[in-house]
Amino acid sequence: MAEALAPRRVTRRTFLGWWLASLLTATVITGLAPILVYFWPAPPKGQKKGPINIALQTPIDQLQDGNAVKFDAPRSPNSAFIMADGGGDNAPGELAFGGYVVNNQGKVNVFAINCSHLGCSVALNEAAKTFDCPCHGSRFRLDGTVLHGPAEFPLSHLTWKQGPNPSAIEVDGIVLGF
Amino acid sequence: MSKPEILKPGPGATVAAPKEVQIIELDGHGGGHTLEPEWKRLPIGPDHILYPVVVGLALFPILMGDAGHHLADDMPDEDTHPFFPDHFWPYPIIALVMLIAVGLLAAFVQKNLQLEPSADPRAVTIPRPDWYFLFLFQFLKLGPELVMSQVIPGIVVGALVLFPFIDAIAGPRLARRLGWERWPVPGRNIITGTVFVLGLLYVAFLEFWALAGPQFCLPYLTGPICGA
Amino acid sequence: MAIPHPREIQMAVVDWLDERYPFTKAVDEALYQRVPNFANAFYYCFGGMVFILIAFQLLTGVLLALYYVPDAAGNPAPAYTSVQFIQNSVYLGWLIRGVHFWSANLLIIMVLLHMARVYWTGSYRAPRELNWIVGVLMLLLVLVLSLTGYLLPWDTKAYFATEVTIKIAGLTPPQQVGMFLKELLQGGPVVGPPTLQRFFTLHVFVLPALIVLLMYVHFRFIRAHGISEPL
Repeated sequence: MAEALAPRRVTRRTFLGWWLASLLTATVITGLAPILVYFWPAPPKGQKKGPINIALQTPIDQLQDGNAVKFDAPRSPNSAFIMADGGGDNAPGELAFGGYVVNNQGKVNVFAINCSHLGCSVALNEAAKTFDCPCHGSRFRLDGTVLHGPAEFPLSHLTWKQGPNPSAIEVDGIVLGF
Repeated sequence: MSKPEILKPGPGATVAAPKEVQIIELDGHGGGHTLEPEWKRLPIGPDHILYPVVVGLALFPILMGDAGHHLADDMPDEDTHPFFPDHFWPYPIIALVMLIAVGLLAAFVQKNLQLEPSADPRAVTIPRPDWYFLFLFQFLKLGPELVMSQVIPGIVVGALVLFPFIDAIAGPRLARRLGWERWPVPGRNIITGTVFVLGLLYVAFLEFWALAGPQFCLPYLTGPICGA
Repeated sequence: MAIPHPREIQMAVVDWLDERYPFTKAVDEALYQRVPNFANAFYYCFGGMVFILIAFQLLTGVLLALYYVPDAAGNPAPAYTSVQFIQNSVYLGWLIRGVHFWSANLLIIMVLLHMARVYWTGSYRAPRELNWIVGVLMLLLVLVLSLTGYLLPWDTKAYFATEVTIKIAGLTPPQQVGMFLKELLQGGPVVGPPTLQRFFTLHVFVLPALIVLLMYVHFRFIRAHGISEPL
């Protein structure tokens, strides 16, 4: 025990021990790094971003105030929309598989379908003129803001453009490639 | 150190049971568990017709290493029994009964095994986990997501992992503070017992709340919260 | 030439084996391990039942893997149709899948009962703390196995339940770490075919290997410590 109490001095032996240990650690890390990179998913072939043409069931000019029309991402090719903003579970760049075009007092908005709480699909409540989430009971006003928790953030917008006719829109999205 | 003489040699011991049983100690674990030197005491010896059947049991000590010094080694023989066959025989029966039970469940409760339509992210459904996660799913509705989904379950699992140390270190201290003679054993410990029972009751409550369905709502701090 | 008695042949084989490894000693040790009589109470068998159920799981899991296709591309996905095929077309497929499913459910109950017994008899106390920790880790592994196995049929409820699970993993602060975990589990921007492959790999290769390893550790500890003394 006397050795343990003596002041520690770096001897050649301990120095070499540490030196070898660090060399070994560095070697192991260098060896493992490619495996970690391997875990990182590469995008599948054929995945590409771009506007997606959507045909709406109700043309925008016929959409009455306080009404909304739901649309889905195309199945073939399998595509999804890219959120423009969002908080909570949603975030800019996250994907959505559906959305709503809403006429809120003459202003047209396009929202992703996912609730900002945990991403369930919200449904239009026509009577109350709100979007209700069936999962945890969050409610949103037609402008996307939160009416009732547990969601804390508004619905996410989708970036969109009017298409060649009133029932066609172009929404920013991604062809998934699978 | 002496051992009582073997009274009843098994059927396999008929070959040549020595009068005096020499006792050897297994090396490797500072004296404790003692074994008879040969297989002479076995109910089924190497010359027994069933010996090849019990050879599988040899995997047990071969894989599991030496037995340490056990409680049973210090107990009188009438308070203990041999592992084979006295302790072993129920298990094949239990295995068979359980196999029949799950087989019958598979045959008659097919509902749980029926598939819903193939996954489609565009489908609008309420995700509902299996029963063993249902209480967590309900718990998630009661507060901020991060706290309810990661912080509190993390603390609970951490406490569960460290429970032997909590019981051994924090328990006696608490007992001293309360003026108790000692920290009671689990079966008679009112504090840990209450914590466990209340915890399980809370889990059961959440589970039944979720099972009651989306129409069943209870008031909560942030407004009514419904089942799943 | 006299025909040897079967017993002599058996003894010759045993002797030959015994010269290579002391098998008779090992058999003797296994057979003659003494067990306290109080360990005959019914609640001491839950651990053994867990072991038996895990054995069922490994066996039926291998059988299911003969037909299961971990491919989620398209709708209906091959994963989904292969589970349908096992359930409806393979001879006794419904039985194998049913045993796998119901054993998994029973397994969780039995693990909890076993844990309750260990608590009640104080078997987690010194010197057995490490074995309790190994046991809790195995409980978590069983839960993760259930979680990953739930996705494999690739039906709607599996998909959305997994989406919620991955979202919860993605909540880990700070946000970058959460996003990293989420993408790592998903294998891409959304729950899709890469996710199924990752969950399949975990469910079939990684987690069973881990749980078998931990079971080995668990049993070695039990063998070293023996049955705990009564309180």
